[in-house]
This record gives sequence, structure tokens and C-alpha cells, in this order.
Amino acid sequence: MTDQLTYPDVVQLAVPLFIAAILVELTWIVIRRRGGRYETRDALTSLILGAGNVAEGILLGFVAWGFFMLLWDLTPLDLGAGWWVVALCFVLDDLRYYWVHRFGHRVRWVWASHVNHHSSQHYNLTTALRQTWTGTFTFMMIVRAPLILLGFHPAMVLFCGGLNLIYQFWIHTEAIGRMPRWVEAVMNTPSHHRVHHGRNPRYLDANYAGVFIIWDKLFGTFVPEQDEEKVDYGLVHNLGTFNPIRVAFHEWVGIWRDVTQPGITWRDRLMYCVAPPGWSHDGSRDTSQTIKAKHLTRHPEDAGKPGFS
Amino acid sequence: MPLQILITLVVAGIAGIAALTWALGMATPRRFVSDSEAIAAFAREFPETPVRAVTRCRDGQAALLRTDSGVALVWPMGADSTARLLSRIRVDRTRHGLTLHLPDYTAPRVSLRLPKDEADRWQTLLRQAT
Repeated sequence: MTDQLTYPDVVQLAVPLFIAAILVELTWIVIRRRGGRYETRDALTSLILGAGNVAEGILLGFVAWGFFMLLWDLTPLDLGAGWWVVALCFVLDDLRYYWVHRFGHRVRWVWASHVNHHSSQHYNLTTALRQTWTGTFTFMMIVRAPLILLGFHPAMVLFCGGLNLIYQFWIHTEAIGRMPRWVEAVMNTPSHHRVHHGRNPRYLDANYAGVFIIWDKLFGTFVPEQDEEKVDYGLVHNLGTFNPIRVAFHEWVGIWRDVTQPGITWRDRLMYCVAPPGWSHDGSRDTSQTIKAKHLTRHPEDAGKPGFS
Repeated sequence: MPLQILITLVVAGIAGIAALTWALGMATPRRFVSDSEAIAAFAREFPETPVRAVTRCRDGQAALLRTDSGVALVWPMGADSTARLLSRIRVDRTRHGLTLHLPDYTAPRVSLRLPKDEADRWQTLLRQAT
């Protein structure tokens, strides 16, 4: 039995590594005068949001943990703690991450939590730490339920999730161009993830992968970085504040205002929560699909090209 | 990791990185040095909305745009920019210029340092957005 299984909190242990890597990237940018940009208030906001994310984990982590342990008590399966079980768990948890991340961009309730990660107009290692404070309220811990019911211990699942998050840290950089071809083919890389952070119509809703880019290739969401179209980072409508509270909660406030407005149906209220970001009951806003369609109206020559096929 | 060490690391790390970027001159806000730059910044946010006229602050810290959808403001977000179409705003006169209060949780306030004559002019231009 693996009831007493424990793993280190690898994300907390990685904090010194995060700080050191940021200092290395910053030094590289200053010395080489290329490879990215830093801005004080942007970096400060990202780092405060990262600290808040760790605090949220400490304060509310018991919710997900309690749910997982409940499932663990229910399941008759126990795969044990062998190295191959951890490896399999890591791969399957990365598939779980892909779908949670995809929901995070296609379901506004989940986007409300994830949006702050995309709210920086910069793309550097501090952007990686610009994490949510409200992940618990998305209830996306449900997507991990199958793993635990299959017999992967909750501690192992969270350990693999932590490793996944740490892997994703280093890909938030412009200091690395492209990796060797085999790496780009299989793994998520800085190039692939730059695309994911793009607000260019071409790059919207692409490259949801955590560690293995193969999921995007498998599920049809892969868009390669185009040398002729530089990634423009940030949101479709960029924020006008660096206040971490506003950055963390703005989309929840938006949902509240939309849902409580007078004169709409209950279906509309539900859709404001679960439809893709940009959905509106009167069609006055743009979703990523309408943004792409409008772009193609202005630039028909892009039809059929990556991101528009 | 003990909580005290984690908190010390996080606080020192955040303060250190912020101080370092500030000391390296990375806190200088963007300036719009031409009308076309202000228009391009607006088009990033509203690519479908044609711009009819541009009024830039003399020091380039922001620009007011007359568009087919009404008055718009472009202003720096650090080294970058953002823009909003303005409506139902409140404009307060301050010692240093104007403060615009927007009914927008993601952009609640924009403070502009303007000399008196420029603040007068901007206040007039902003009247139709209030």
C-alpha cells in the first residue's frame, strides 16, 4: 500500500532556482542587448502574482488535497510507487495539463483564473511566475480525478504537476531561439510557448502543451512560430494597470458584471460563465474565432497558413 | 522548506529583482514620439477602428485620438502601451495636470502631467467622453 507516500514540494524547492535563472536572463539581456526585455513594474507584478500563487497553494491546497484523498479512498486500484509509475503519471498528468490549459482558454470561468498569466506584454522568466490566485475556484482539480481513480497516489500526481510547472519555467524566454529539431518535435520549447503567449490573431488558441508538444500536434492546436511574424505578447485588450489585485481578479469582476446585468436570459448568464472568452449575448465582442475571421477579411492572403487553417 | 526561509527568499528575491531592473533604467515609461506611433499603439487594441485625428501630449506621455467610435486614449503601460475608447469618464484637475477616471476595472485611472494650457486643451477635448 502507498497510503503514506510523500514527495517534496518541488515548486517551493525551486524558488532559489527561479530567482537565480531570472538574474542570469537579466544579465544576458543587459550584456548582449538582445534576447528579451524587462520592465520594473511588469516584473514586479509578475513576481507578486507568483508569490500570491504559492500563498494560495498553502492556504487553499487542502481543498484539492481533500478531494484527491476522498477519491483515493474510493478507488480499489493502487499502482504503487515504482519509477515507471512516476514516469507514466508524469506523461498522463501532462495530458491532463493540456486539457486543463485548453479549457483555460476556451471556457471563460477557467480563463478568469488563467488570464493573468497572459496579461504581461513582456515575455521573460518573470512572466512564468505570473500565476493565478484563483485556480481552486475553477474546479479543474476534477480533471485529475481519473488519474487518482486509476491508482496513481495523490501525492505522486501533485509531485508530477509540480515538475510540470518547473519544466514550463525555462520556456518563458526570448533569450533562446530554437532548440535542436528533435527537441522542437517532441517537447514544448521557448519557440512553441512564445506562440502560445501571442495576441496576434494567427497565434490565438494555440500550443496549449505543458511539457510535450505532441498533444497539440495530436489534437490539432499546434502552430509553429513564424519567422516573418514576430509574436506580440499580452492580451487582445491589454490591461491599463499593474495593480496585482486588479490583474488577479479582473476577469472575475467582468463575469460578475456580465452575469448580473439586467435584461438578459438565464441562458445568457450561464454563457457569460462558460462560453469562450469574448462571447457576448448581443455579439458586440470578439472571440478568438471572430478575431481570426476579421483578420482574414483584412488579410485574405493569410488564409490556409499556420494559425488560419 | 521551512516557511520562514521561503518567505525570506521570496521577499528578498522580489525586492532585489525590482531594485536591479530599476537601477538598470528599466522603469522608464514609453513615450509616443510621433502621431503614427500613437495610431499604431491604438491599432494594436482596435484594429477595426479608423483614426481621424491625433492629439499627443507635448512630452509624448499619452495621446487622444478622434476615431469613428468616439474619443480614445492611448497611454504607456511601462515600456508598452494600452488604449481605451472613452465614455462616461470623470476628469479631475490636479496640481500636475489631469486625472482621468475610467469606468473600467482593468484601467481605472490615468494620471497625466500637463502644463496648464495643455490641461485646458485636453479637458475641452475630453468633454465629449464624460
